Amino acid sequence: MSATSPAARPGIDPRGPRFGASITSVLLLVVIALGLATPLGGTLVERLTEPAAVLQTLLVALFAWGAFAGIARHPYGAVFRTLIAPRLGAPTEREDPAAPTFAQGVGLLVTGVGLALHLAGVPYALVASAAAAFVAAFLNAAFAYCLGCQLYVLLVRAGLLGRKTA
Amino acid sequence: MDPLLIAGVLIALVAVSTLIGVVVRARTGRVRADGQHVDTALLDAEAELTLLQLSSPVCSACVAMRRVGGQIATADETVGHREIDVTEHPDLVRELGVLSTPTTLVVDRVGRVRSRIIGAAAAATVRETLEDARRTPAGVAA
Repeated sequence: MSATSPAARPGIDPRGPRFGASITSVLLLVVIALGLATPLGGTLVERLTEPAAVLQTLLVALFAWGAFAGIARHPYGAVFRTLIAPRLGAPTEREDPAAPTFAQGVGLLVTGVGLALHLAGVPYALVASAAAAFVAAFLNAAFAYCLGCQLYVLLVRAGLLGRKTA
Repeated sequence: MDPLLIAGVLIALVAVSTLIGVVVRARTGRVRADGQHVDTALLDAEAELTLLQLSSPVCSACVAMRRVGGQIATADETVGHREIDVTEHPDLVRELGVLSTPTTLVVDRVGRVRSRIIGAAAAATVRETLEDARRTPAGVAA
């Protein structure tokens, strides 16, 4: 509708969050492999210092960064802008940062709950939460899947979001 | 756990995710006939056919669809474009069985849903769907 070029319009390059999601996907697979390889520790300190838990803690922190500071300030975004974007050329479209920021919040919730349950001694909590987060991150990276587009309407249907029916 | 088994779990996870991705992608931009009714208050009263777009607040594809719908409605005065937020219409979302946003309904003057477009569709697909709705009598569309 506007005559300005896509690059001049506000918003972020949609390939940025997809690049970040591909790194996240790989790290989540590593969490799952480490989680399956190591038996659940008997004490809180053992569970906290397990390799899978350490990596999951890092992922929780990265999701929190994206969710609270906004996707535009995420460290992966800086890597994308300096190393990847200059080699790709201008994006054909721009994206509102609200949707990928929402997805970061969902990632934070899923990985955060998994980490908390793991620390509480629930077996396979890390593996299960990392697997759920992997599905979303992989779909985002490989298929440009928009979590906000699918999940939001399901939450509305379940009555968890939106105006209550009279 | 056996390293081979771990590798198997990882491969299975990637395979299942890929399958989900292929199914979701196949649904996107797809058009299907419909026969349901919506409240005419939601429609553009001036238009012969209204593109009624159901959107959610955090949805990149909804923005793309808004651009396509807006352009078509501006170019063709017999077509209207209205966008509603699913958060404000939970009953409608349930009644119509909407599973993802954007879902765009092609609705005639009396509120009959002639077809629905799932996901962000190309302008050509939307124009084709509108043409089909004009050609097909309302009774057959269902």
